[in-house]
Amino acid sequence: MKKLIMILALAFSIIACKTETKKTEGSLERSESATETPFLAMGEFDTKAGDFINKEVKIQGIVDHVCKHSGKKLLVVTDDGSVHITSDTRFEDTLTGSEISLTGIVLEERIDESYCLQMEDDNIKSHSEGATNDELFETKKKHIQQYRDQMKAENKDYLSSYSLKYVSHIEVE
Amino acid sequence: MKQLRKWSRILHRDIGYFFIGTTIIYGLSGIALNHMSDWNPNYSVKVNNFTTSINLEKSSSTKNNILLLLDEIDNRKNYKKHYYPNSNNLKIFLKGGSSIMVNVATGNGMAEYLKRRPVFYEVNFLHYNPNRIWTWFSDAFSASLILFAITSFFMVKGKKGIKGSGGIYTALGILIPLLFLIYYL
Repeated sequence: MKKLIMILALAFSIIACKTETKKTEGSLERSESATETPFLAMGEFDTKAGDFINKEVKIQGIVDHVCKHSGKKLLVVTDDGSVHITSDTRFEDTLTGSEISLTGIVLEERIDESYCLQMEDDNIKSHSEGATNDELFETKKKHIQQYRDQMKAENKDYLSSYSLKYVSHIEVE
Repeated sequence: MKQLRKWSRILHRDIGYFFIGTTIIYGLSGIALNHMSDWNPNYSVKVNNFTTSINLEKSSSTKNNILLLLDEIDNRKNYKKHYYPNSNNLKIFLKGGSSIMVNVATGNGMAEYLKRRPVFYEVNFLHYNPNRIWTWFSDAFSASLILFAITSFFMVKGKKGIKGSGGIYTALGILIPLLFLIYYL
């Protein structure tokens, strides 16, 4: 048993050293690339993000919300707008209310008729299963109709919704 | 066979002792996180409704007015940041994850105070793999669970062993997830 504990202690100390080294290398790479990253103001994100699809951009705002389920989604806001962030790693919920400068890759999601139909199906299914109440069901229904109305008004087959895939962030004082 | 039984018992017992704490961590957090849609597993939430006469419309003195509001209903030292989600509402973030939403036109507001749930906050934090070292440790724990399953085949002989009632329990334990898969997948 003593041997087992010693082996485990040794293994963890080796892993700890390796992990620290990797972290340092990662942050160096990030700081080098950060100097060239274009900055998008939150108020212009929706209109300009289309020019940077699959490219890195930088934004700055306050973390309004960290997803309580996965911890891998953020909503970053300012008075002028908001941006959804997705990540492969979890965020600390203590990040809520902090002002951050965040670098991420612009992702485009296209909302078209098939997307609306899928949303409709999901809405009906979750409502019939009792997962959503009448109010939420009606709200989602209106939301889907808004998408359709907007596509019609803009004479487009789809709407683009932009978000960021998280790369790195720093807290701003 | 005698040696296999002996070592199965030793490993099952000693590694079992070693991972008692980890088993409790994953057991508690597993229940807490399974019911995430019914409660907030990390924080208890207390809501406090209030009305204020302080002018919180967007202006150059907004920050000062927010601090005056916090003097009234909380503590100005807890101020973190604020923003206007729309022209009618102001959201103030407080230290510790709490927040306040105020309708600047009516002065009606709602403060949502979050308080960490003792024990649950800590076990949930670990459940979500806070770093690589914990990932390795929890991998070792998961591997030990497989080892427990294997060693349990050889630990007891006779009618309570795998050839007796132990075998029936094992079959039932495998059958239940299989039935779920057949029905729901």
